Amino acid sequence: MYTYDIHALNQLLGSIIQDNTPPDVFAWLMKQGNSNDTAAFNAAFVMMPRKTGKAVISVKPEQITQLNVTRPNLSVEGWTADRLGRVFLLTLADTTDKNRYVKVVENLFLAGEMNELVALYSALPLLAYPDCWVMRCAEGIRSNIANVLEAIMYHNPYPAEQLSTDAWNQLVMKAIFTEKHLELIVGLHERNNAELARMLLDHARERGAAGRDVTRELWNLAGQFEGAGVINNLKQEYQLN
Amino acid sequence: MCCSHSFENEHQPGTVPEVFDISAVKGMKFFDPHVHMTSRTTDDYQAMADAGVVALIEPAFWLGQPRTGLDSFRDYYSSLVGWERFRSSQFGIKHYCTIGLNSREANNEALAEQVMELLPLFIYKEGVVGIGEIGFDDQTAAEDKYYRLQLDLAREAALPVQVHTPHRDKKRGTQRSMDIAIEHGLAPYSVIIDHNNEETVKEVLDRGFWAAFTIYPFTKMGNQRMVEIVKQYGSERIMINSAADWGISDPLAVPKTAALMQQQGISAQDIELVTYRNAITAFAQSGQIDETEFTSTIDQSSKFAGNSILRGGQQPRIDKSSIIIS
Repeated sequence: MYTYDIHALNQLLGSIIQDNTPPDVFAWLMKQGNSNDTAAFNAAFVMMPRKTGKAVISVKPEQITQLNVTRPNLSVEGWTADRLGRVFLLTLADTTDKNRYVKVVENLFLAGEMNELVALYSALPLLAYPDCWVMRCAEGIRSNIANVLEAIMYHNPYPAEQLSTDAWNQLVMKAIFTEKHLELIVGLHERNNAELARMLLDHARERGAAGRDVTRELWNLAGQFEGAGVINNLKQEYQLN
Repeated sequence: MCCSHSFENEHQPGTVPEVFDISAVKGMKFFDPHVHMTSRTTDDYQAMADAGVVALIEPAFWLGQPRTGLDSFRDYYSSLVGWERFRSSQFGIKHYCTIGLNSREANNEALAEQVMELLPLFIYKEGVVGIGEIGFDDQTAAEDKYYRLQLDLAREAALPVQVHTPHRDKKRGTQRSMDIAIEHGLAPYSVIIDHNNEETVKEVLDRGFWAAFTIYPFTKMGNQRMVEIVKQYGSERIMINSAADWGISDPLAVPKTAALMQQQGISAQDIELVTYRNAITAFAQSGQIDETEFTSTIDQSSKFAGNSILRGGQQPRIDKSSIIIS
């Protein structure tokens, strides 16, 4: 049900939280993983900032290295303590009954506020049954809340691993529309494709016709599938750089 | 308002109403503890930010027509802590909310039962500063039941309560709301009685509750009347709000009233208490208000010093005076 070593991951996230929270908070958190008591699990998830605070965590270099071994391309640097606490809590949930597990997590999405959604989407690459969250991830990309989009797009290996080509292309287009840092998207070049290149060049024409410019990274992506001649002509026609 | 005499601010024939000059409140900051932003436009947010509103509370309320199922309540509560909070942040206004089952919809008991089960998932969320707005509308038995149940919830969660008082039979309804709150073990200091008028304010203050006043055209308080109330009762435990919603209302009611108070000789300290500080003191009992999270200036260029990226998706301003839209 997990694509990675969940026990190693649990231990690692636990040690990072232990380094960043008082002992009583860590002790409280370790007792909250019973997702079969849904009301208590929900309450723990929701009240996390009251327990952990919202300070940005510090992560040791060896922990960064270890995380990249256990779950490549995932980064928790810059996360707040409540975000990590919530993600950690989700990794403690009981996964034996698949339907029940999925329902509990889905229900958190349905009632989530922004910071909760950030944690939930950050947790996608760590949830069990990875194929169950594809629609949820695509739904998240339709969000207009910047922090939520960034949680899906930045340092998150889930979309590149699981999304269909159409959904992936929407992610990249949405990132460009909302002026995100494309270089932080995991799998940007690995998942690049001819259809996306076509969409990117159409987008460049639209922007050019409106007298607006485009991000330079667009040309790099399109250039993997379109000839330099096509791109140069387009740039010239619409006076784009 | 049907049950109390009114000396609404009426202008004499031939006199022109004075124009609200925003420079009169320049440098002042305001907290509007009751405003339904889901019903308002981005222009309202912009105008509020320009007039110095730095934070607000959006109470959960009735949407103008009844909800027919539980999911509508969930999506509504979810929008108050989610999308609406984000939308507000785009204008530099800190958005809080109170969560509760409003009195009108308490009368649909089958649905109300389900809503009561849903509430615990929302009342512990960040930035939820109270249970509200709850109380009486028709003063039916069902309204009484769910008011009491939600008071118990507030006591357990150690949250303040924002009480809506009825339009009809207001004085009696206000007294009853306070009696029941005390009966359920709430400290008057944790209960904000809203929509007061000249007829209710004295008893509310005498019994130790917070007295909120809604400055709302035609049906609630006019702001000239509000000035008189502050002159008479002072500023202790008194706060004002706009309760702006989908009706004809004014999201600038708080800054406008501050300007009027200033014009008519109310001290700067009293104005600050009534339009900012008291609401914070009352609702900060939730442990969910951090004043350092308010952005104290509305100048977007200096809002996030040293960072050229507008945070949280914050939108750059458009120049509304220009005929060109680009």
